[in-house]
Amino acid sequence: MNFLTLLKLGWRNIWRSKLRSLVVIFSIIIGVWGGLLILGIMYGLNNQRMDIAINGYIGNVQIHNENFLDDYAIKHVINNIDKYENFLSKDSRVKAYSKRIVLSGMLSNSNGSSGIQVLGVNPSSEKNVTKIYSKLIEGEYFKSKKNNTILVGKKIADKLNLKLKSKVVITFQDEKNNLVSLLFRVEGIFRSGNSMFDESNVYVKNQSIRDNLVNFIGFHEMPIVIYENIETDSSLDLTDALKKDLKKIDNTNIIQSWDDIAVELAYANKMISAFLYFFMLIVISGLSFGIINTMLMAVLERKRELGMLMCIGMTRLKIFLMISIETLFLALIALPFGLIFSYFMINYFSVNGIDLSIVAAGLENFGIGTMLYLKLPLNYYYEIGLMIIVITIISSVFPSIRALKINPIEASKNI
Amino acid sequence: MIVTEKLSRIYKQGDFIIKAVDNISLKIQKAEFTAVVGPSGSGKTTLLNCIGGLDTPSLGKVIIDDENISNFKRDQIIKYRLNNIGFVFQSYNLIPVLSAKENVEMIMLLQGYNKKFRSERSEDLLNQVGLYEMKNRRPSQLSGGQQQRVAVARALASKPKFILADEPTANLDSISTNKLLDIMYKLNQDEKITFIFSTHDQRVIDRAKRVISLEDGKIFNDQKI
Repeated sequence: MNFLTLLKLGWRNIWRSKLRSLVVIFSIIIGVWGGLLILGIMYGLNNQRMDIAINGYIGNVQIHNENFLDDYAIKHVINNIDKYENFLSKDSRVKAYSKRIVLSGMLSNSNGSSGIQVLGVNPSSEKNVTKIYSKLIEGEYFKSKKNNTILVGKKIADKLNLKLKSKVVITFQDEKNNLVSLLFRVEGIFRSGNSMFDESNVYVKNQSIRDNLVNFIGFHEMPIVIYENIETDSSLDLTDALKKDLKKIDNTNIIQSWDDIAVELAYANKMISAFLYFFMLIVISGLSFGIINTMLMAVLERKRELGMLMCIGMTRLKIFLMISIETLFLALIALPFGLIFSYFMINYFSVNGIDLSIVAAGLENFGIGTMLYLKLPLNYYYEIGLMIIVITIISSVFPSIRALKINPIEASKNI
Repeated sequence: MIVTEKLSRIYKQGDFIIKAVDNISLKIQKAEFTAVVGPSGSGKTTLLNCIGGLDTPSLGKVIIDDENISNFKRDQIIKYRLNNIGFVFQSYNLIPVLSAKENVEMIMLLQGYNKKFRSERSEDLLNQVGLYEMKNRRPSQLSGGQQQRVAVARALASKPKFILADEPTANLDSISTNKLLDIMYKLNQDEKITFIFSTHDQRVIDRAKRVISLEDGKIFNDQKI
């Protein structure tokens, strides 16, 4: 008896009890579809969180003075910044870079005050590095000819009851540790998608700081964006390579990639893959019980027939294979449907998104916007498909062993 | 030739010891048309199971053409059954998802014969049992008598040394019984195939050329007609 005959027999056997087989097939389809959809949501969430962080405010790589990270003092500016600029402007991996003055200070108005980080930027070069200009929900992105305008986050705006054109005072220490207070007028209110960022960061033109600190020269932060939006594996390699090259320029500065800066984000990104497979493993394991149960029922129902096959001389291996093939067929029929449905659904929502504005506050606390875009790389489909096949093969062992335990004498009711 | 030498099959059921077959010695020559008869529990099925290598004797041995099959290992006996013994079951036990022809071919598939041989032989056998026209029908599309005739064709397909049939007519009406017996008798006469039946059916007993009567696991009458 060749393998083809076992396949033929297995195929016909699963359609003996159409309803029972269809129930299992549908449960696998729904399990695969539901599981992959959840994976698409989780992967999409993580992806968006990374996108908001990297393209929103961090960039792929940042340069700081090595002392700046321990002491956010104004004096710790990047050394030899010209050399970096020279290198970055010629490097083909680099999409854009910007230079920022970063100050720790206090934002105050008549309603109260709040500790903030002031990002002094060049509006035009910052536009190439971060997407904050596209996150404005009120006002405009440094369109005013005046230098003392400020962009504030929605969260801090709510906290201090700030409106467009509201006046605020930023207080910080200068190079000589004297307190300096500067007056700004709100030009825009942004909502980055990360409420923590919105609560603790404001953007001003760096010229406004220089105008008031005449002796201050230099920048504290250089965010760099490379030619990949999201940290795919290849852009991770690029980031590391760029980091390595930048380190050679001046060792008094520190070069950090986004995963050094946003450690929790990097950790979540590393964990997500393992978590997604683990989640799917649980879903498939649940399904496998249904498969085992159905096949056990099928074996017990066909006890007499299996007994007859044993009587006439079918070997244990062939009986084992026959039952395993039947089990595998159930999964193989369901799998393409489950994968295709999931693929189209995830693709649809990756373009159109799911509006979750009803839970916007919670999502923004988590660092995600209100529109959720599903995403799942193709390798997940292959690997999860393979995982299902492997688990089905494992599941088929139990009913197959049960079939082998059939006593041909009892099963065939006498010879 | 089939020989049983002091064959016993003893079962233990709780504290009781049941001798289903008790010290039976017999010889069945090639081309015999033998019926093993007896009341329920007399041991006829156990005897046939032992002869067919489905059950292992507790004592004694079964020798078929000078080979003691009682000592065979599991894989050995499976192979032996496949190539030497044909089985006909009371409830036909055809595979419902296969056609009549495919059911007959099944055993030849297990034996490893090629497609052409299988196809020709299965059609020939179905022709012999008068079911050539119905070769593509599935068991559910055949009557009980027709299914049993397919089962006979299947049993013959492996070119066995003998055929063991357990109450083959128990589920058949008289017309089907007679037709089946005619076919088996003809095969016995023309092709010298050995048939051993276990039966209660007087119609089968009437057609048998040898009747072995069992009671309490022992032969109390062995009559050649």
